[in-house]
Amino acid sequence: QKAIIRVIPLKMDPTGKSNLTLEGVFARVAEVMPAEGKLLQFHPLSLCNTSEDEHTVRGFITIVKLESPERDPHPCLSLANKAKLAGERGAEAILFDITDDEGAFYQLQEAMGLSHPVVLISGRDAELLMEMVNNNQEAQVKIEVKEQPKWPEYD
Amino acid sequence: MPPNVSQGCQGGCATCSDYNGCMSCKPRLFFFLERTGMKQTGVCLPSCPNGYYGIRLPEKNTCTKCKADCETCFYDSFCTKCKRSFYLHSGKCLKTCLEGFENNNHTMECTSIVH
Amino acid sequence: AASTEQDPLPSCTPLCRCHRDGVMLWVECSELGLSAVPGSLSPFTAYLDLSMNNISEIQPHAFYQLRFLEELRLSGNQISKIPWQAFSGLYSLKVLMLQNNQLRRIPAEALRDLPNLQSLRLDANFISLVPDRSFEDLRSLRHLWLDDNALVEIPIRALNNLPALQAMTLALNRIQYIPDYAFQNLTSLVVLHLHNNQIRSLGMHCFNGLHSLETLDLNYNELVDFPVAISNLGRLQELGFHNNNIKAIPEKAFEGNPLLQTIHFYDNPIQSVGKSTFQDLPKLQTLSLNGATDIREFPDLTGTTSLETLSLTRAGIWVLPRGMCRQLPDLRILELSRNQIEELPSFHCCQKLEEIGLHYNKIREIRADTFEQLLVLWSIDLSNNAIQNIHPEAFVTIRSLVRLDLSNNHLATLPLAGLSGLAYLKLKGNLALAESFSKESFPKIRVLEVPYAYQCCAYGACNSFFQPNSLWEAEGTGPEGNEIHKRNLELFPGHTDSHYDPDMDVFQLETEESKLQPSIQCTPSPGPFKPCDYLF
Repeated sequence: QKAIIRVIPLKMDPTGKSNLTLEGVFARVAEVMPAEGKLLQFHPLSLCNTSEDEHTVRGFITIVKLESPERDPHPCLSLANKAKLAGERGAEAILFDITDDEGAFYQLQEAMGLSHPVVLISGRDAELLMEMVNNNQEAQVKIEVKEQPKWPEYD
Repeated sequence: MPPNVSQGCQGGCATCSDYNGCMSCKPRLFFFLERTGMKQTGVCLPSCPNGYYGIRLPEKNTCTKCKADCETCFYDSFCTKCKRSFYLHSGKCLKTCLEGFENNNHTMECTSIVH
Repeated sequence: AASTEQDPLPSCTPLCRCHRDGVMLWVECSELGLSAVPGSLSPFTAYLDLSMNNISEIQPHAFYQLRFLEELRLSGNQISKIPWQAFSGLYSLKVLMLQNNQLRRIPAEALRDLPNLQSLRLDANFISLVPDRSFEDLRSLRHLWLDDNALVEIPIRALNNLPALQAMTLALNRIQYIPDYAFQNLTSLVVLHLHNNQIRSLGMHCFNGLHSLETLDLNYNELVDFPVAISNLGRLQELGFHNNNIKAIPEKAFEGNPLLQTIHFYDNPIQSVGKSTFQDLPKLQTLSLNGATDIREFPDLTGTTSLETLSLTRAGIWVLPRGMCRQLPDLRILELSRNQIEELPSFHCCQKLEEIGLHYNKIREIRADTFEQLLVLWSIDLSNNAIQNIHPEAFVTIRSLVRLDLSNNHLATLPLAGLSGLAYLKLKGNLALAESFSKESFPKIRVLEVPYAYQCCAYGACNSFFQPNSLWEAEGTGPEGNEIHKRNLELFPGHTDSHYDPDMDVFQLETEESKLQPSIQCTPSPGPFKPCDYLF
């Protein structure tokens, strides 16, 4: 199930040019549902049981840039549990940039019924979003469920 | 070096990346997750910032938060300097000092009342 | 007022960053590649950070004018020795940071001129020698870091005259033994960390004199016997000796420590525990004792009335005392999995019980009063038992039940009364349980595991069978007509070589309502060989 990700910078650029409309895919580990909130980046190592829950305000959307597996050989938690932890810490939804960790897609396909949507983004769309993060450009994010075409594809 | 690894790794980093900063530290430095605005990046420090204390373990040294009423601490149950309006007494932060002690507003500590 | 190098205050040292705090000056010169202490330091410097530079030597009198200096950071340099008088003149110094340097011995002579020093950091050096008079004049010293060094013994004489010391860490060294009276004059010590050493044995009186000690950390050592020396620590609140080699915890082990709140002793090969070992600990909130295979009886917890979490797994307990809940009025989490329990008492008096883990036991039935009136109980795990029947009213009075795992039992029927709030229900492995459950039985269900695929059909699982997931592929224009960024992303070459399985042994839960009618995950989902019709 695909997701439309609308990114609206909080410091409005009058031309609205810097709004982004990106695409991702819902991971089956969680519900397929819309969500909205302020974009907040989390370091991959911040989603560990031992790490601090330094964010107390709820209602944000987490973005995590995953590193390639060899650069994090002993992950503290599975990606599914990281997604769950992010939800417990107040995230309305979790965006994983999986450009450098393609295997992440498979790790997040086993249904766990997490009630906060998990969306995977990659490639050019992820790059655009991370560029905003890198520039510390605060933004509101809206995640929408992209409607499936009327007649699903048959093999 | 993988394309996304930043050339400008901060001094204490062993490995780092453009977006996440440090991923691991050089030996004996503390790994700390620093938040500035919406960004959170890993940094490596010789001592943890105010409000955090360092835990040294063989495999990794990390910074962990002190208690809410504490500005600097040795350990989560032992404060070394309290936040404003609290008085320090044997590692605890008190709104007012116990019997036999008085609130010292200069040092913000509980001072024993010598009879 | 903050200053920068371009607009320096008159006394700010070149290259450094300064800011004024009233009359005093904060000087920040870290990570500048300095090889020596800067010369032109203002006498009004209250804070000086020279950390993470290349300083290998400190000249005598290097800080002589800084009589107002309260904090000096020299951490992360190459300092291997510090001469006498290096710190002379620092009458106001309270905090001295020398961690992450190359010191091999305590610079005792240099520490002689610091009458007001409170915090001394010497951690992460290579110190193996602590001269007897190292801390002699440090009358105000409260916090001492000596962790991550090369100490092979407790520096007893050096620690003999520190009346103000309240917190000390000797962790991550190579200490193997703690002799009697090692800390006898540290009467103000509140926190003592000794974790990650090689401590094999303790003198019976090694902790004598530590009248104020509240936290003792002996984790990650090689202790074989229970540290009976703690019996003198009447104010102890937090004790850790996890990751050691201790096989038994004797009766009366904690008799001298009535104020204990937490005891961490997991990852020890503990086989036996005294029946009343954990009695009369009125402040103890958590007790976890896992894998003590010799334990046959449920421990006597009289007087340990504040327990909130009790985990006693992988032991040999076969019966639970009838009055156990009267001893544990505050119990919230009870974890008794992998024991030999055949019959359950009524948990009625455990009114604050929220989670019960009883999986992998030999329980045969659930009676009407087993979980009676447990109004905040939301999770029960009874999987892998021998349950044949459940009383029709077993769940009726449980208002908050959200998660119920009855997998791998011998159930033929399931009483539905009281289960309408379930979000997670697991029934797989009950081969005689053939009935189909209507959607109305579990209106809030999210994850349902049932013995047979046809039992999932009521939950729309049949429809998804004809609509395989489409992999992620490039897309032209979006529904709104404006260009969605195109990318040729062949991300998923079709093989599933996931080297990481989600951590499924913990039963995951989300209790918050979701915003849309949630998709229900029902397994096993029907397929060509698991049709929707019940063929038998």
